[in-house]
Amino acid sequence: MIAERIAPQTVEELAQTLAQCNRDGLAVTIEGGNTLHAMGSTPRRADLAIATAHLNHLLAHEFHDLTCSVRAGITLAHLSEKLAKHGQFVPIDAPLRRKATVGGTMAAGWLGPRRHFYGRARDFVIGSQVTLPDGTIAKAGGMVVKNVSGYDMSKLYIGSFGTLGVITQLNFKTLPVPQRRRALIAKLPEGSRPRVVPQIAALAVTPAAACCVEGFRKSIDGEDGIDGRVFILLEGSDAILERATRDLRSALGRAGVPETIIIDAGANESLERVLDAQIASVGERSITYRSLGTPETVEQRATEMRDAANRSELFTDVLFDVMNGDVFLRVSQRDSRAFAEKIEAFDDELCALDSRRVIVAGDAPIRSSLDAWGTPPEAIEKMRAMKERFDPKATLNPGRFVGGI
Amino acid sequence: MLVQRLIDALGADAVKTDREDLSVYSFDAYSEGRLPTAVVQPSSTRDVAAAVKIARDCGEPIVARGSGTGLCGGAVPAEGGIVFSFARMNRVLELDVRNRRARVQPGLINLDLSKHVANAGLFYAPDPSSQKISTIGGNIGTNAGGPHCLSYGTTVNHVLGLEVVDEFGEVYQTSVEESGYDLTGALVGSEGTLGITCSAWVRLMRTPEAVRVWLAGFPDVESASAAVSAIIGAGIVPTALEMLDRLALQAVEAAFHSGYPTDAGAVLLVEGAGFEDDLNVYESQIARLVREAGAISWRSARSEAEREALWAGRKGALGATGRIAPNYYIQDVVVPRTKLPDALRAVEAACDARDIKVANVFHAGDGNLHPLLMYDRSEKKQVAAVIEAGNEILQAAVDLGGTISGEHGIGYEKRETLTRIFTTDDLATMARVRDVFDPKRMLNPEKIFPAGVGCAEVQR
Repeated sequence: MIAERIAPQTVEELAQTLAQCNRDGLAVTIEGGNTLHAMGSTPRRADLAIATAHLNHLLAHEFHDLTCSVRAGITLAHLSEKLAKHGQFVPIDAPLRRKATVGGTMAAGWLGPRRHFYGRARDFVIGSQVTLPDGTIAKAGGMVVKNVSGYDMSKLYIGSFGTLGVITQLNFKTLPVPQRRRALIAKLPEGSRPRVVPQIAALAVTPAAACCVEGFRKSIDGEDGIDGRVFILLEGSDAILERATRDLRSALGRAGVPETIIIDAGANESLERVLDAQIASVGERSITYRSLGTPETVEQRATEMRDAANRSELFTDVLFDVMNGDVFLRVSQRDSRAFAEKIEAFDDELCALDSRRVIVAGDAPIRSSLDAWGTPPEAIEKMRAMKERFDPKATLNPGRFVGGI
Repeated sequence: MLVQRLIDALGADAVKTDREDLSVYSFDAYSEGRLPTAVVQPSSTRDVAAAVKIARDCGEPIVARGSGTGLCGGAVPAEGGIVFSFARMNRVLELDVRNRRARVQPGLINLDLSKHVANAGLFYAPDPSSQKISTIGGNIGTNAGGPHCLSYGTTVNHVLGLEVVDEFGEVYQTSVEESGYDLTGALVGSEGTLGITCSAWVRLMRTPEAVRVWLAGFPDVESASAAVSAIIGAGIVPTALEMLDRLALQAVEAAFHSGYPTDAGAVLLVEGAGFEDDLNVYESQIARLVREAGAISWRSARSEAEREALWAGRKGALGATGRIAPNYYIQDVVVPRTKLPDALRAVEAACDARDIKVANVFHAGDGNLHPLLMYDRSEKKQVAAVIEAGNEILQAAVDLGGTISGEHGIGYEKRETLTRIFTTDDLATMARVRDVFDPKRMLNPEKIFPAGVGCAEVQR
C-alpha cells in the first residue's frame, strides 16, 4: 500500500518532507524498527513512509550527570551498548531490542515487566523534540532531571503512536547498571500457580521482573509443569541476590514448587526471550492480545482468558506479569483457515472479559477484521480534539490509534 | 446572581464572599493576586462540576487551590473569579494495599496520606518540604518534587489516574494504564490550566527495610559539590542528597538543634534506603568519597530519632531563615549536576554584587538549587535588588544548560521567563494543548504562558 519510503538524514529534512506531505494531503506512516507494527490498528491510508533509520545517533551521554540524549532511530540494543561503556542504562523493556528503536518503542508506549521496579520508561524521559505535521520542530523539557517549566509535552507524544507528531529526539535520565542480574526458572506442578503468585508478590526483596508462562515452548527458557512455569529476574548487589534467592526458593517451596533453576551468565538473554515472546507470531495463524489489570487479579484473569480460548478450540500460549498485572495471550490454530473460522467468536468472548484488551501481534489479514483497541477510553473526545489540534488534516498515521484517531 | 446560584448548588456554608475571607484566598506563599469574586468549598466532584458550570455561565475565571503554599503565584486569582478551595475534599477514598495504590481527594494533606498508609507498610514518595500543609491536589498541579524524588521521581511518576472536571463542568477519568494519549501525564504539572483534579489514584511504595542518614561537613560549598559529583559519578543514587551552605546550616542549627556542624562551610545530608547489607556497603563507599572530596566531619544516623532530627533541620530550613532577615525570596532553578559549582558561584556573585545575604538549601543530587535571598519587604530598594539578583541567577542556570523551575512551577511569577528556554514554536505547541482543554482561557488564566502566547496569534 505504501507508495514510497523516505529515510531523511536530518531532522530538518524530515520536517520538510512531512510538511510537504501535509500540504499535499498525503498520509504518512513513521517507521522505526517495525517491531510493533502489528500493535493497534492498521492505518486507513499510507502514501509515504518516513523512516528514522538514519536518525540513529547517541547525541550525548553526560554520564557524570546521569543523562543522555538520542535521536529516535537508535535501537534499544545500540543505546544499551553505548550507555554500558560508562556502566549505565535506561530501563526500557521491549521486544526485539536489536531492531526496535527508542523512538518507536516510546511512541508505542510499550510497558515492560520491570516497570514496578524501576518505573515506566516514560518516567525516564526528561526532554523531547518532535516534528509536527506542519513542519514545526518543537522541543519540551531539557537535559536536567527535574523540570516543571511549561507543559510536560513529552508525556503526550509517548504512547501516541505517531499520531500527533514524529518524535525525533528523546532525552533520558540514566541509572547505574546493577551489580548483578540473575534469572530463576521453575516448573509449576499442578495446582501450585494460585499459591506461587501471591508468594512472589509478597517477597521482601522485590524481583526486578516476575512472569508466569504457559506454552511459548522454545521461545522462553524452561519447561512447563502442569501449571506452566515461572520466570523471575533479580537485580541488585551480591548480598541482595543471595538473600533474594534463598527467600524465593523457600517461598516457592512453600507453594509446592520443588526445584528452581538459576541462570546467572545468560540472565540478560533469558529476559530478552521473555520480551520477544510477547509479540512472537505463529505464521498467519495467531493473534496476541495484551490485557492490563491489577497484580492482585492477574492469575485469575489469565486463567479465564485462556479457558475462553480453549473453549473456542484455539491453542494458547500465556505469559502474565505477576508484578504489574499484564496478561499476554497468544491464540493460534493449525492453519490460517481454521484460525480465521474461530477467532471472531473468541474475540467477542474476550471483549466480554476485557473490553479494553489490545492486539499487539498477528498477521494483517486476520488482524484487520478485528477491533485492535477495544472500547475507547472515557476521555476519547478530548483525545480526538487533541488530534484535530495537532494534525487537522490527519496526515500522520490516520486510523492507527484508539477510536479511529 | 452568581453568588446565589453557587449557594443554591453548594449550600450557603460552602460559598464565601466576605471581604476578609476573599483576601485570604488572593495570596499564596509568594505573591498576591486580585480579590476573587467568591470562594467555593466543594464537598464532592458533583459540587465541583456544578460550580464550574455556574462560573462558566457567568464568565468567571476558575482557580483551583490547595493550601496556598505555592511559591510562584500559581494559585492566586490573577484575574479574580471563583477560587475553588479543596479543604473539604480531604479524604482517602480507597486504599488498595495489595496493589499498592490509593484513591485520594485533592485536598488531602500530603503527609496525612503517608500517615494513613503507614500501618500497611506503605508510603507516598513525593515529599515536598511543605508536605505538612500542602495538598495532593496542589502537588499534582505543580508536579511537586521534594528531597526523595532523586530516586523515587516526582509527583507525575506516582499518579496512576485522575478524575477531572473539565472547563464545561463535565467529569472524566484518566488512567496511565489505558490506551490513548497520556492525559494523566499532561495534566500533572499543568497548574490548573487544563482541568480540575477531583480525585487521584496514586502509587504507594513499600516502606524500606532499612534507612540511614549520613551527614558530612565540608569547609566550603565547592568541596561539597565535588562530593555530590563523586557520589553520583560512582554509580550511587542515594534516596536523597541535600546540601545546606554555611548560612543555612547555622540558621537551622539555631532553630532546631539538629546536630549540624556549625563550623562547616556546607553540609551534605545523604539518605540511603533499602537493605541493611547494601547500606553497609554504601556507607563505606560514601564515607570514602566524601573524605576524598575534603569532608571535615562525618556522622551516621541510624536511629529513627537521630534521622528525624537531621531531616527536621532540612525540612524546616526555610522557616529557620527568619532569624537572618524578615523576608526571603526563594529561587528554584536546575542545572546539570556537574554544573553545581558554577551555579553556586553565579548565585554568590549575583548576591554579593547587591549586598544581599543568601542561604542555599537544595536538592544537590538533582542539581536543583534553592537560593534563599534575604531581604526586608519594607525596604523598596532591597526588594528591587532581590528581584534583580533572582533574575540573574535564573539566567545563569539557563546559560549552564539548566531550566527555570525544577519543582515550584511557573505560575504567574516566572511566565515571562519561559521564553528564555523555549522558542515561540515550542510555546505555541504547548498552547495547542491549552486550546484543547481550555480554549477560552478560563482555567487559571495568566499562568504559565507568557503574555502574548494566546491562541490566535500563534496559530499558523
